[in-house]
Amino acid sequence: MDFKFTEEQELLRQNMREFAEANVDPIAAEIDENSRHPAELFQKLAAGDWMGIPIPVEYGGAGADYLTHALVVEELSRSCSSTGFTVSIHVGIACMLVLLFGNEEQKKKFLTPMAKGEKLGAFVLTEPGAGTDVMAATTTAVLDGNDYVLNGVKTFTSNGPTGDNYFVFAWTDKEAGRKGMSCFVVPKGTPGMQAGEHFKKMGLRSSQTSEMLFKDCRVPKENLLGKEGAGLAMAMTGFDHGRIGIAAQSLGIIQAALDESIKWSKERVQFGKPISRQQAIAWMIADMAMDLDAGRFLAYRAAWMKDQGLTFSKEAAMAKLFAAEAAMKHTTKAVQIHGGYGYVKGAKVERLFRDAKITEIYEGTSEAQRMVISGNVLR
Amino acid sequence: MPDIIVCFKWVIDEAYIRTGSSGALDFRSVNYKLSDYDRNAIEAAVRLKEECGGTVTAVTVGTPGATKGLKDALSRGPDKACFVNDQSFDNLEPSQTAAILTDVIKGRLEYDLIICGEGSSDLYAQQVGPRLAEALGIPCVSFVQKLSIDGNRIIAERKVEEGINIMAAQLPALVTVVPDINNPRIPGVKDTLMASKKEVISVTADDLPATYEPALQTVSMTAASMERNCITFPADQAGIQAFVEALAKEGVLR
Ligand SMILES: Cc1cc2nc3c(=O)[nH]c(=O)nc-3n(C[C@H](O)[C@H](O)[C@H](O)COP(=O)(O)OP(=O)(O)OC[C@H]3O[C@@H](n4cnc5c(N)ncnc54)[C@H](O)[C@@H]3O)c2cc1C
Repeated sequence: MDFKFTEEQELLRQNMREFAEANVDPIAAEIDENSRHPAELFQKLAAGDWMGIPIPVEYGGAGADYLTHALVVEELSRSCSSTGFTVSIHVGIACMLVLLFGNEEQKKKFLTPMAKGEKLGAFVLTEPGAGTDVMAATTTAVLDGNDYVLNGVKTFTSNGPTGDNYFVFAWTDKEAGRKGMSCFVVPKGTPGMQAGEHFKKMGLRSSQTSEMLFKDCRVPKENLLGKEGAGLAMAMTGFDHGRIGIAAQSLGIIQAALDESIKWSKERVQFGKPISRQQAIAWMIADMAMDLDAGRFLAYRAAWMKDQGLTFSKEAAMAKLFAAEAAMKHTTKAVQIHGGYGYVKGAKVERLFRDAKITEIYEGTSEAQRMVISGNVLR
Repeated sequence: MPDIIVCFKWVIDEAYIRTGSSGALDFRSVNYKLSDYDRNAIEAAVRLKEECGGTVTAVTVGTPGATKGLKDALSRGPDKACFVNDQSFDNLEPSQTAAILTDVIKGRLEYDLIICGEGSSDLYAQQVGPRLAEALGIPCVSFVQKLSIDGNRIIAERKVEEGINIMAAQLPALVTVVPDINNPRIPGVKDTLMASKKEVISVTADDLPATYEPALQTVSMTAASMERNCITFPADQAGIQAFVEALAKEGVLR
């Protein structure tokens, strides 16, 4: 067994840390407060090839491995988990969908500008009546001449108001059940597609989330991604990849909680000594460090398996579930360690606490991860 | 079109040094990094190349395991590297490093300009640059915070205590730079991935004409420590008085 990163992986993690300290830390509180999408930051991320790490160079990416992508999402999320998530879903789901299922034409047209970071992807699956229960979706796509005509309402679309290429899932044959959904690439500005206002959220505030409305939205046949009817399977594969990113995002949050907790507990003096010398506090920090490592082993293993070409959906679900729950648990502890000072705006742990919650919800709730894992082990 | 040599050192990242209970430094779980000012040196070299053309060769002396340092340096823009490595090239003194660099540069590298960091992050002895220039018999300008090439000379702005000193020096020359000179770029993903594809000239102790003996002996090294006294003073007249007296007694105020 070899627990060593390559020199490139170490350098890239380090470089992303520096990038984030220079470019993300200074704005993280502000973009959270104002729910602002920092377009200027994404330009810089694009310039450094951070927006398409595991995508081959011929399609505009950096041609590195998926593990490197995960390390980068983790380091970004340590500074701002909204930003880490936006990169994660853009690369891990949107770009990966085209890379894995797109034809040559689609890779040139849609993947290349996305992997370069010139265009942002959005994953449009959830509907008001269809969250965990994806099959309850009602959005339809009907072939009419050379176009598919999309009708329906989607919700909770990340990058809804800011995206360029939307990966929309709709029924082409409802009767066919799990083999009846298809995936379409709908470029921004396509008549009939409209993004709603971005939601005011508890956390993850600078990531833009909105409804997406489709009213007689015509997309050319060429924009069908993969085969007709393969949409659901593709969405699940997208989730497998995306979940490694959410695990990484959660790890970044835990690392930040740990950083803040160590710093604060060494500085804060009560009863004549720094609170870090109280066993109650020291043990919270020990647990935090332990779960951070455990989460890393799960997440890096899943990424490594992906890079080895192995099946990794159970491992990705485990990594996502464990890291997300650990993020929620330990950001709670981090606020506890900060006492009242952790409860006021301006304390980083206050933001971490709010940002952690979503990791237990999206790309499959914790319950949904347990369905995936139990489904795998009970088979 | 100048040929530029930039020297860099792969040093222990001080953030990873622990202090043992006796004040002894614990190096067991350290990481390494490019010495801080050497990043500025590399950036300065690469910017000159971007302006005037020419080549940039990054040179380092160290142990054979420091390959990550080479990639780190090369990801920042130099065309190639010269890796002077030997198991014994660990904890070298500035005089040894300068002597080794001198022999390597004289023996195998073309240059118009050599750029070094003002001092290294670990020892900050500020000796390698000036010693190297002396041994090569070329002018040396230290504390450089601005640098340009003007025909066959450099114009360098030195940061000195009472102002700025602007100097010109005939090429070939050597400069040592301070961090004010630039804000080093953060390499992008492709820069890092391409670094290992660049040419590296490897030079070992056997290839060198001399052996390089140390001149210094390190007797001991301990960490600076800060202990809290945990004395509180009330915020009234008497308390402030007592605070000032306590500081005076500690020798903080005189
Ligand atoms: C900020 C944000 C961003 C998002 N981004 C995207 C995006 O980009 N694209 C996209 O398509 N979607 C996105 N989502 C949607 C997200 O994936 C869903 O919210 C999630 O899948 C849960 O669906 P739901 O909200 O409808 O909850 P529900 O499915 O209604 O679940 C409610 C609760 O019931 C539990 N539950 C449901 N079914 C079961 C069951 N069978 N067994 C046990 N428990 C069950 C759930 O685990 C949960 O605890 C986003 C959501 C948010 C909040």
